[in-house]
Amino acid sequence: MSGRLAGRTAIVTGAGQGVGLGIAHAFAKEGANVVVAARRAETGEPAAQEIRERGGEATCIVTDVTSRTSMKACVAAAVKRYGALEIMVHNAFRGGTPHRIEDVGLDVWEENSGTAVWGTFYSAQLAFPHLRDAGANGRLILLTSPAGIEGSVNIPLYSAVKAAQRAMTKSLSKEWGPHGITVNAIAPVAETPALAGAFAQNPVLKERVEARASLRRIGDPERDIGGVAVFLASDDGGYVTGQTIVCDGGSFMGL
Amino acid sequence: MSDVLNGRIAVVTGANQPLGRGLTLALGRAGARVGLLGEAVGLESTVAEMESALVRTVGIEVDWSSQETVEDAFETVADALGPVDIVLHAAVPEIALEPMDLVDVDDARFEAIWERMLRTTIFLLQAAFPQMQGRGGRVLFVTPTVSMSGAARLTPYTAAVEAQRVLLKATARQWGPEGITLNSIAPAPEHLSIGMSSTEVSLAPPALGDAGDPEVDLGPIAVFLASDAGHFVTGATIGADGGIWMAP
Repeated sequence: MSGRLAGRTAIVTGAGQGVGLGIAHAFAKEGANVVVAARRAETGEPAAQEIRERGGEATCIVTDVTSRTSMKACVAAAVKRYGALEIMVHNAFRGGTPHRIEDVGLDVWEENSGTAVWGTFYSAQLAFPHLRDAGANGRLILLTSPAGIEGSVNIPLYSAVKAAQRAMTKSLSKEWGPHGITVNAIAPVAETPALAGAFAQNPVLKERVEARASLRRIGDPERDIGGVAVFLASDDGGYVTGQTIVCDGGSFMGL
Repeated sequence: MSDVLNGRIAVVTGANQPLGRGLTLALGRAGARVGLLGEAVGLESTVAEMESALVRTVGIEVDWSSQETVEDAFETVADALGPVDIVLHAAVPEIALEPMDLVDVDDARFEAIWERMLRTTIFLLQAAFPQMQGRGGRVLFVTPTVSMSGAARLTPYTAAVEAQRVLLKATARQWGPEGITLNSIAPAPEHLSIGMSSTEVSLAPPALGDAGDPEVDLGPIAVFLASDAGHFVTGATIGADGGIWMAP
């Protein structure tokens, strides 16, 4: 298959839905072998199936990003199936429940920290030997959020863990740069089940989010976010590292 | 001698480390009375050092892994000195400053840096809120510029600092109506025992010559933010690095 990612293998965590699914489709369209790493087979298998029906190559591997054992098995299975691993995308996240910092419970913290930060730790560390082998094709891409830069009033702990991912992006870009590996983050605003849920709880929020965006619309996971991920994963993005690409239709402009 | 913090009560962490020590002395010399929270090791000598600098100080031992001991410590300070007006969080676990490739970091180390630093921060915020609710307050975090520049072999530490810095922004948005301001002071990497120099993040040396002295150069920034004069600044990160990072 031709395309900007032809012959390269990518793991996309949380690819059963939302932004992860959009990126998985965009990668497959550019010729990548895509590992749909989803927590539940009920979302992961149909996602992989849909990619194959569209002519792409995909395998679902049920993965819990908060478990070292599970993430290790995912990486091993990907490499066994496709022979190498060039691209790791950590997108999986759970825990965006609104809260007040003064009385939030540690259970909310553990969800946020586990999926976003421990998930980054495991996916980065376990992919590293393979990304190093891929040299200049090696890519780590983390999905963060504008909230991780500006701090969001309704979700302080989400803001914290998304900020942590931005710092990890920068530090790892420095640590792994000598191997040729690039490390970047994408901070999207896109139509996902998570955002739909937030809008359902708070209808005014949708209007505010749309009104704040220069483009007056909320992003499409495949077209708007997937395209940016493809750029970063491809040779075209080879000299971009340590960066956060804010991909939100022109909402947050503080960088 | 400025006395802009006369009568104010400050809870401080990390006063046994260089940045925290200097900033605490500055708050104390501006008139604040200090409740010094820390682990048992070195607590007594740090309290003695503050007292010898004529800073009225109460030392309280805490176990940072226990939310209860942090809450109790705030109560103890409030009982001994009065309701808490200021929190200065400068403590860093020493393990966080030991450089290591991420590939070699095990779960216990990641836990001891990332989870410990963030849980401590959450515990401090949750203990501070009842003290400040309805009467205002000042929260200051020390967030070295390495969290914004990134640093190889310090991934867990930079992650934790950046998370603290942005958690503070979100909290500033929540607590503004209570009259509570929260701000970060961002010192240069030279103040940390990580063997990192400012020249790794900037082609030019610090505009003001060096990374500064924690008490003399950074202290007045903390005093300003903690004082009435700083009342309209919140959610901000104040570069206190002598002109290196300069972002945004």
